[in-house]
Amino acid sequence: MIGFLTRRAGAAIAVLLVLTAAVFVLQQNSPGDPVKAYLGANASPAAVAAERASLHLDDPLASRYWHYLTQALRGDLGTSYRTHRPVTADLGAFLPATVELVVVAFLFALLLGAVFAMLRTIAGTFVRGILLVGATAPPFLLALGGIILFYAHLGWLPATGRGGNDDGFLLTHSLVTGDWAQLGAGLQHVVLPALVLAVAPAVSIGRILRASLQQTLGADHVRTARAKGLTEAAVFGRHVLRNSIGPGLSMAGLQLGFMFAGVVVVEQIFSWPGIGNYLAESIPAADYPAIAGVTVVLGAVYVVTNTVVDMIQALADPRIAL
Amino acid sequence: MSDAAVVPRRFGVRSRTPAVHNTTLNRLLVGLLLLVTLIALAARLLAPDDPIQPAGDFNLPPGSPGHLLGTDLIGRDLLSRTLWGIQASWLSALAVVLVGLLVGGLIGLVAGASGGWVDNVLMRLTDLFLALPGVLVAIAIVAALGPGLVHTLIGISIVWWPYYARIIRGEVRALAARPHVEAARLAGASRGRILRRHLLPGAVPTAIVTASLDIGNVVLLLAGLSFIGLGQLAPAPELGADTARALTQLLAQWWVPVIPGLAVMLLSLVANLGGDALRGLLDGRR
Repeated sequence: MIGFLTRRAGAAIAVLLVLTAAVFVLQQNSPGDPVKAYLGANASPAAVAAERASLHLDDPLASRYWHYLTQALRGDLGTSYRTHRPVTADLGAFLPATVELVVVAFLFALLLGAVFAMLRTIAGTFVRGILLVGATAPPFLLALGGIILFYAHLGWLPATGRGGNDDGFLLTHSLVTGDWAQLGAGLQHVVLPALVLAVAPAVSIGRILRASLQQTLGADHVRTARAKGLTEAAVFGRHVLRNSIGPGLSMAGLQLGFMFAGVVVVEQIFSWPGIGNYLAESIPAADYPAIAGVTVVLGAVYVVTNTVVDMIQALADPRIAL
Repeated sequence: MSDAAVVPRRFGVRSRTPAVHNTTLNRLLVGLLLLVTLIALAARLLAPDDPIQPAGDFNLPPGSPGHLLGTDLIGRDLLSRTLWGIQASWLSALAVVLVGLLVGGLIGLVAGASGGWVDNVLMRLTDLFLALPGVLVAIAIVAALGPGLVHTLIGISIVWWPYYARIIRGEVRALAARPHVEAARLAGASRGRILRRHLLPGAVPTAIVTASLDIGNVVLLLAGLSFIGLGQLAPAPELGADTARALTQLLAQWWVPVIPGLAVMLLSLVANLGGDALRGLLDGRR
């Protein structure tokens, strides 16, 4: 266990170093000038030069990268060129919205994935068909279709924002404090973006789980369990599901990691005030501290997610050793 | 599910999704793949109007005379823009998959055929790339390089090859243990000859199927990157970006943002169906 965690921590450090180094090295070749964006087009050359010096933009690349890394270890990811605030403050303000969106979307993906894999009736075939077609569509098209249908035509769901404060854990907070009106509004706002985000992962999870279930259902121990007269529910719950859930779980973990990357597009369409939206606004402004900050946070989330999933898999299946 | 219960599988062989063995249908679907490629190549000839210059009234709905798919906010012909966008998306996706296949395939082939420390070093390198969150790395690379189609292609290609290296390497290792390769080695064939004549041809079908099933993924990823502003710069026609720029029109003129999105969906659908059909054809021949 300790060996496993040490190896994963090593991998996490390697991943974060590669990601930040990529942003640092490549921004050298970028056409955008952050200082012009920062000071405005009418700034005097002297002011631009002074600003470049104060941002250490004229230092050699290696020394800037080293400076960034040592500052990052102290919890300082630099100052955003665009919002003029510390990147950590921006991330702290925007990350909770993204986390809540992804968590709700992940629950949807698990639920739809389970339906995809297990529902045997005609309704199951219907859901499978819808999801399979939906998974070939780009997420932004699903979002547009959802907005046209559920917002413009039916008027059931709102199309933008979170239905409350932009920052903080809106859903969690209203749930804990018992603010039911706020919770209802928050849930209503999260449904559409979360569904859009959940469709493709649900198909990936459902396909793997379905294949795995079919394989287990044909196994000898299942025939024995049936032969000794267990009810179908007991056969399924105790002998099939537990043996088949492993591949589904690892796919779910992989998809959770992907969802944190895919959230950028969905947040932009639904004006969801999360870090995806923050990233999308930082890119045209050549706001490299912000881009690097978001990359670091999402990369860390990706590695941690994969580690936790591997641990859960070992818990679910004692044959897997860490 | 009940079928599976009737025929118990005694050995833990992973049941593949049964490939559709309808050869005619499969040939048609693969033909569709080629047709889309032809349309993409000939987009400039097929497009009725210039995709960048206004060609008619503003915001004409689909089916308007002279403008089959309508026009956008400044009167550009949507059919022409979509065709040009299809060309950019489809050819880019093919290029990314081809680069991934060549780079990853070469690394996998060399690693699988040599074994030993070469295999070890190459596969550790591949694992390092596989541990990175691919989409995020692509976003970071393109964001740092600045928007532009070439930058996007570079960014995706960098994260796309390791997957192929793994698959080809596994295929080659499995082939290397087969009797015909052993026989060739006993007959005194050189390493290079075994690689060229006995390993490479055996790995080609797997490589082609993997690659064709992958085109749809790349089309979707490209569209997503272009949607958040990491594709071609305006006013060049590109499917994801065209949707993003027309978002404000969604509730008034839905077709302007929706049509490019539908084109992306069509491309990804054709890629998936065609890839599946190709797998069915190649599996059936074995």
